[in-house]
Amino acid sequence: MSYLNNPAIVMDNGTGLTKLGFAGNDSPSWVFPTAIATAQRSTTKSSGSGASTSSAQSASNPYFGNSTSATSFNSLASATLMSNNLAGKRGTEDLDFYIGNEALTAAQGPSYSLSYPIRHGQVENWDHMERFWENSIFKYLRTEPEDHFFLLTEPPLNPPENREQVAEIFFEGFNCAGLYIAVQAVLALAASWTSSKVVDRSLTGTVIDSGDGVTHVIPVAEGYVVGSAIKNIPIAGRDITLFIQSLLRERGEEDTTLRTAERIKQEYCYVCSDIVKEFNKFDRDPQKFAQFIVENSEKTKRKVIDVGYERFLAPEIFFNPEIASSDFLIPLPTVVDQTIQACPIDVRKGLYNNIVLSGGSTMFKDFGRRLQRDLKSIVNNRIALSESLSGTRSTGVDVQVISHRRQRNAVWFGGSLLAQTAEFKSYCHTKQDYDEIGPEIVRNFSLFNMV
Amino acid sequence: MLHLKPENLLVQKTLTEAWNANESGTPLTLDRVISDFDYTTLHLSNSPENKAVLWLSIKTKAWQSVLKCGEGFLEHLESKYSAFPGIAPVGPEQGYDYTLTVDLGQLQPDAIVQLSLLKIHVMSFAFQLAFHEFSKLSQQTQDPASFSGSNDTGIVRQLQYRDDENIFVKPSNDRITVIFETFFQDETDKVFGKVFLQEFVDARKRNRSIQSAPQVLFSHEPPLEAASLMSARKADKNRRFITFVLFPRHFQTPELQFSTVCHLVLFRNYFHYHIKCSKAFMHSRMRYRVDSFIKVLNRAKLDETDDGEQTRRTITGRKLVY
Amino acid sequence: MSQSLRPYLTAVRYSLQAALNLTNFSSQVVERHNRPEVEVPNTSAELLLQPMNVSRNEHEQVLIEPSVNSVRVSIKVKQADEIEQILVHKFTRFLEQRAESFYVLRRVPIEGFSISFLITNKHTETMNTEKLVDFIIDFMEEVDKEISEMKLFLNARARFVAEAYLGEFVY
Repeated sequence: MSYLNNPAIVMDNGTGLTKLGFAGNDSPSWVFPTAIATAQRSTTKSSGSGASTSSAQSASNPYFGNSTSATSFNSLASATLMSNNLAGKRGTEDLDFYIGNEALTAAQGPSYSLSYPIRHGQVENWDHMERFWENSIFKYLRTEPEDHFFLLTEPPLNPPENREQVAEIFFEGFNCAGLYIAVQAVLALAASWTSSKVVDRSLTGTVIDSGDGVTHVIPVAEGYVVGSAIKNIPIAGRDITLFIQSLLRERGEEDTTLRTAERIKQEYCYVCSDIVKEFNKFDRDPQKFAQFIVENSEKTKRKVIDVGYERFLAPEIFFNPEIASSDFLIPLPTVVDQTIQACPIDVRKGLYNNIVLSGGSTMFKDFGRRLQRDLKSIVNNRIALSESLSGTRSTGVDVQVISHRRQRNAVWFGGSLLAQTAEFKSYCHTKQDYDEIGPEIVRNFSLFNMV
Repeated sequence: MLHLKPENLLVQKTLTEAWNANESGTPLTLDRVISDFDYTTLHLSNSPENKAVLWLSIKTKAWQSVLKCGEGFLEHLESKYSAFPGIAPVGPEQGYDYTLTVDLGQLQPDAIVQLSLLKIHVMSFAFQLAFHEFSKLSQQTQDPASFSGSNDTGIVRQLQYRDDENIFVKPSNDRITVIFETFFQDETDKVFGKVFLQEFVDARKRNRSIQSAPQVLFSHEPPLEAASLMSARKADKNRRFITFVLFPRHFQTPELQFSTVCHLVLFRNYFHYHIKCSKAFMHSRMRYRVDSFIKVLNRAKLDETDDGEQTRRTITGRKLVY
Repeated sequence: MSQSLRPYLTAVRYSLQAALNLTNFSSQVVERHNRPEVEVPNTSAELLLQPMNVSRNEHEQVLIEPSVNSVRVSIKVKQADEIEQILVHKFTRFLEQRAESFYVLRRVPIEGFSISFLITNKHTETMNTEKLVDFIIDFMEEVDKEISEMKLFLNARARFVAEAYLGEFVY
């Protein structure tokens, strides 16, 4: 049983990015897009005669360095087996794919098509996902799944059928030694334990998870997600980038690509306490304006982009959505307040007390402070109102927003923290359990509560 | 992905990142665990004194048995890196078998590749000894004065690289025999593995273009070469043995030796990787089948819109529900 | 299709058509319950009909157990060797795992068979009986085909993998 000494593998497959790594590390070893580029032929399986396509494929295919055996196999396969509709799937196309950044590169060529197997946090295409995992494990992490425990993440409200599918793939396909599927929000809470502001390591709190596509506000009470109260906000990283891009275009800057907008977002943006004051500050002090220099890949041409009000305006769309969007107008602090108000009354104090940020789009400077201030004023107004109506004194509600250094990959980091503890393996479903009981074991949610 | 690459991508990536960061004047703070196949863990961290110096430590299951193979193991490892400035062995870090210090200031791109091959270099020692012994034995055979008999053989070296599995390497005067012990825990793997192993044996006979590949044999009983070392353990009927017979043409030059060793060391991983790939492929076939069966079954469903008597519709075409 | 498969499937088809003559039937034991009578231990013999065993050979059999309101159809899929055995096991398990989308599939097969279906009067009321029989027959044909295709695939893949590996040693 020497696999007990091997580090557990933590995989966080998100809609946009996948984070892979080993438990105990402080950051994921690999972060790349959850994208897979598959050979085109499998999608257009009936086209062309077998022999010609197979030879063309092996010629264009960088994997099959040894062309003799590859072609002999393919022509054999196509000659004898091209009889039915599955025949196109019969060769070795299933080995011919790339994932992550390599997939993005490969998809620029003609012979691969790109797809994203995860949509809205949930796995959409299991065939692609299985191969994505296969390549992550063997190529990028270089591990034999039989020797390692795995910690995977799932979005809140993931149907149990999906967990069963995951277990089926990991235990039957990969024979992994053990598997634990954790809810992303709970891991984000665990990641906040590194912050000095956190005194007790409880699993109660509100998680604001803002990635590229969508922002979730997820209340968690003692390790369980309060599913009925979850709220989604259609404003996230991509909207901020697009907003910056539109501002750059309006001003007619030299370079207004999405990439430039994204780098400006990452390097220059911050949250201000008051927009009007901030505008005045900018007008008084031209030092505030920054310049961003774009160089092309050969470093021969330089373009200078002025960065102006978008430094504080862009993240402001969380707090004043009307400046960028016309269909969603509720500011983030109000949504957080509504979420917590929708939860059972006995956990609300804990939820206000521990608001945890997670995901790249919460990384703006002072994001947490602004959220805390706005939320506090909402809560205090309500308390004042109820005090004046009832005439009694309230004990007060403490609002605390926690930001910490691991925010960007908080979910992954929380997983790494949990998976390196000694108890982790006793909470995992093992291969033996699976063989005895079957995929339904993962329906049981064994809660991890380390102190 | 058809072949597994010998080098560890993650070590390469991390070292390159560290090197770039060091070049730009902001050395990274690193404390990373990296794994490799067969119970191998690598640890990359800053040295306690200097951020620009990294420690790369390795811990691998095979270490003890490699150490037992013969003299000069550490010298062997050292020789692999002596050509590169800035890389030097130090006393092993706590909990690890071997540690190298890497001075980022002097690191060369080639060295990064070599560092990512550390595990292969550890395993290659046993093979290296076998190559040496082979050349000694073959010279003896050519020299009639010391020729003692037809089957001059060297000693068998055992590499215990997994809990239940071993590699045996045995040089003789005209060949080197490499025996892999395989053991499957999973029923499905056992059956799939049998099919795969059988094909390994037959492949060379069938395909002319790979005639010059090593001969492959497959048996349930430990081959005679390994039997002496196996006797201590009880025979298990799940155990199978696959033997590669390397001829001199497979290890004539150091480059050939290196590539042969890489492939042999990765044999088990390659073979298990492909068992898993086939299972993944079968899963996708089965998903396809499930869908097609459900389609057939859904054809049997009575169309609800047929009985117009029972469902009333609004003017916009919506159904009225009572 | 081989010589003996056609009559075998025809026999199964007719037997199934005959057996799928179901009616709503309230339980005699528990008030206001309506249970598939083949599945419950039954004291009243008149509810169960004689089981039928259609058999092509010892490896390929179909057991049809009719009752007043439900029919249980169990199929033994051909398993010539160890590989087919494991493939059939994997495949049927995969299907049973997704039983809810199959309506008529039983999650556990009857002892001695590879896969079982349970068709109740509810199913025959909402589905076309003729087409249901078509589905079972289609299933029997396809399963055999699928298993042998998977076996061929496994062999072909193993050969390809082995040749690719050994090819690396050719210089």
